[in-house]
Amino acid sequence: MKKMFLLTAVVALALAVQAVEVGKPAPDFTATDINGKTVKLSDYKGRIVVLESYNSDCPFCNNQYRTGAMQELEGQMAAKGVVWLIVNSVNPNNASHRTPDQAKKEMADKKIVATAWIDDSSGAVGHLYDMKTTPHMFVVSKDGTLVYDGAIDNQPDPQHDPRTAHNYVSEAVDALLAGKPVPVAQTKPYGCGVKYAN
Amino acid sequence: MRRIGIILSGWLCLLAFTAGAAHTQVRLILSADTARPGDTVLVGVDLKMEPGWHTYWKNPGDAGIATKIEWQLPPGVIAGKILWPLPEKLPPVEVTTYGYNDEVILLVSLTLATNLPAGPLDLKAGVSWLECKEQCVPGSGSVEATLNVGAEPKPSADAALLESWNKQVPFTMADSAADHAWWEGPAGGDTRTVVIGHLLPKTTNVIKFDYIKYDSADFFPAANDHFEIQGTTKIISLFPSDIRLRKVVKKFDGDWPREITGVMVWQRGNWRAGNEARLTVTDQAPADAGAVEMNLAPKPSASRLSPQLLWQMLLYAFIGGLILNIMPCVLPVIALKILGFVGESRNDPDRVRRLGLVYALGVLVSFLALAEIVIDVKAAGQKAGWGMQFGSPIFVVCLTTLVTLVALNLFGVFEVGLGGRALNVAGGLASRPGAAGAFFNGVLATALATPCTAPFLSIALGFAFAQSASIIIMLFLAVGFGLAAPYVVLSWNPIWLRFLPKPGAWMEKFKIAMGFPMLATALWLFNLAAGSYGRQVLWFGLFLVMVAFAAWIYGEFFQRGRRLRFIPLIIALLLLAGSYRFMLENQLHWREPVSETEPAGSLRESANGIDWQRWSLEAVASARSEGRPVIVDFTADWCLTCQVNKKTSIEIPSVRAKLKAMNAVALIGDYTRFPTNITEELNRFNRAGVPLVVVYPKKADADPLVLPEILTPGIVLEALDLAEH
Repeated sequence: MKKMFLLTAVVALALAVQAVEVGKPAPDFTATDINGKTVKLSDYKGRIVVLESYNSDCPFCNNQYRTGAMQELEGQMAAKGVVWLIVNSVNPNNASHRTPDQAKKEMADKKIVATAWIDDSSGAVGHLYDMKTTPHMFVVSKDGTLVYDGAIDNQPDPQHDPRTAHNYVSEAVDALLAGKPVPVAQTKPYGCGVKYAN
Repeated sequence: MRRIGIILSGWLCLLAFTAGAAHTQVRLILSADTARPGDTVLVGVDLKMEPGWHTYWKNPGDAGIATKIEWQLPPGVIAGKILWPLPEKLPPVEVTTYGYNDEVILLVSLTLATNLPAGPLDLKAGVSWLECKEQCVPGSGSVEATLNVGAEPKPSADAALLESWNKQVPFTMADSAADHAWWEGPAGGDTRTVVIGHLLPKTTNVIKFDYIKYDSADFFPAANDHFEIQGTTKIISLFPSDIRLRKVVKKFDGDWPREITGVMVWQRGNWRAGNEARLTVTDQAPADAGAVEMNLAPKPSASRLSPQLLWQMLLYAFIGGLILNIMPCVLPVIALKILGFVGESRNDPDRVRRLGLVYALGVLVSFLALAEIVIDVKAAGQKAGWGMQFGSPIFVVCLTTLVTLVALNLFGVFEVGLGGRALNVAGGLASRPGAAGAFFNGVLATALATPCTAPFLSIALGFAFAQSASIIIMLFLAVGFGLAAPYVVLSWNPIWLRFLPKPGAWMEKFKIAMGFPMLATALWLFNLAAGSYGRQVLWFGLFLVMVAFAAWIYGEFFQRGRRLRFIPLIIALLLLAGSYRFMLENQLHWREPVSETEPAGSLRESANGIDWQRWSLEAVASARSEGRPVIVDFTADWCLTCQVNKKTSIEIPSVRAKLKAMNAVALIGDYTRFPTNITEELNRFNRAGVPLVVVYPKKADADPLVLPEILTPGIVLEALDLAEH
């Protein structure tokens, strides 16, 4: 019990100290996905990881998915060996909250091809990464460095066709794969506010 | 199949959006029905949100999206950019946004070409927005309205509504030069702390602005692609002349910004306003802004305290204390003291020293008590003044009685304490009474010293009243040391006592001679009491005579009597009790002075002076109900600041003329004798005393303006200006 308390304290401290910052190691986390599996960021070392702050009821997120643009991107990323983690931080009291079963259904219905959908209804991962909006995107390089933090693309508009926009995530991943520096490492994320618990 | 699914869900979503958009109603309103070619017409897109729903400002903040207006205007009509009313900062903290609850009217100026033909113009716009509550829904709608072009301009029914929203659009301040921003230090990664300030140069008369201290202030940044100014604001200082806010800037790319733009927001009660700010970010705070964080709320007018100045003031206080020794009100006590020393000089030096120290202790303890009173009073907001206790008739009555008794004692009517005993009971008799007497002498010297503001002392005390508690204590103690010093020195070096004449019959004569200045002091105090009790003060005079009579019986037949000494004691006590009961209690009502019926009507001081009326809550209410502005001056005879304010800034030609022109009502609240109704009113303004000058605006529901304690003509005139509109 005492040990556990100590551990919690250490974890809390680690969370408090780690600030999300481009060019620095991406804060590690351990979370559970909608299938009950444990997802640990550092387990993916050696692979590029994309984090997506998700809420499909948000028109900005929805615009990415209803047009199929996001699924396409996820597919391309998967083909390149990139890990795609959906982070849903909507709190359980919000109408947009998804239970694991609802989430599984939504994932299937929308043909989402992410590696995992993290159930973050506590907001722990969202707060750790200071996720502001849905969608708010992060790219982590193979060595665990945060290389991109910001918007999905340059069109903050819930009605545009995302395929016509400049996509910062695919740009960052392509640059990493080509061994080049990421051209745009940080942008202001746009979208709906993440529906954290109060 | 997969495609169909996507398309279908897309359609469903669109349907959902169209239905959901009903959370916000939109319409276009115009300030004019008819306008002339060449005119500029204010129009507004009115967004009405259902309860709980909000739409966004031009910088939505961490999330959301700004409302867009796309005009479809006939040729010859040009739309300006959107004038955004001041938004609210919306929770939660971790995702701060700026937007509007309930309703907002986004304003736009339409400019009509000079060659527009007469006739109706169809004005159309597509409006799109994001509305959010628990969830976010994009909404859109087309709006239209018709404007007539003609020769006769005609405002519309919505003109007033548009104007009221126009007032909520942040304005550009005249003194925008006072806006500053500076980095608080080097960057920590991709964030850096910036201080945003509105700082008036130290050279301007800053008091002028500080009577409207804000409850809150904030900075709403403009949107920027390269950096963001985060939502959290730490308030450092809230004085209108010195507002400082700490914000965190997060950089996305490029260099740290050299300029930030946004809206400075300040709030006081329900009143909120913003002004456009364009700030150059410097590496250091502006030179005249000072390095001290001002969150301890010092008066910007308070002189900054250098150690040198403090030493100088302590020295003045000490010298002032020394000089107090020879002021007429203290001198008689000194007589007691000298006699005491002469009497004691025959005893062992240790005892003399000890008594000197006890006397000093009495003085210091009294000064400490005075300092404590000043600090308490100051903390309660009252402008403490030297000698203000003389405004209390109870204090005056007690002190007058005491001083009369001291005079009688000096005349030899009765004996008490050190002086008399030393004369009568020579040698080593008196031990305990000596110490008590010395202490009492110290207290009495202090009590009597307060009305005498000696030269030097006034400077030091004037300075002290504006300082912090610890400095007030230091200064008061310095005065005490000055007052006590001669005796401590004398008692410490008994050799010096040799310079005093040998005890003898002269001492008795000297003592009696000193009784006369004491009697004069009593008369002066009696005169003060007359101010409080009016003609009833006669009873107090009679009481003093009875006290004197009782003192004589006590001295002559109890102290010096040989037989049946308890009888004169009882008679003296009965006399005292009886006269107290009958004269002070029944006749004088000394604890609750019934001031004589105050004359109604004007308290005008001169023929062309301000037509002052006596203050009452009813007088204020009735003037306000007539729609007249009101100025109230809460003042007191013993309040020096009040008198200075009146001379320099209120009873002056410009203010007289202004009051007359405004048809203002001028009321005086006389706090000289602490009437309860004024105490209550002062407390209502969070003040414990005077001066307090309040200006009630013409508009009956507007909050009164509380003027600062120290006035200038400018402050008064400015407040009156505000009150007029």
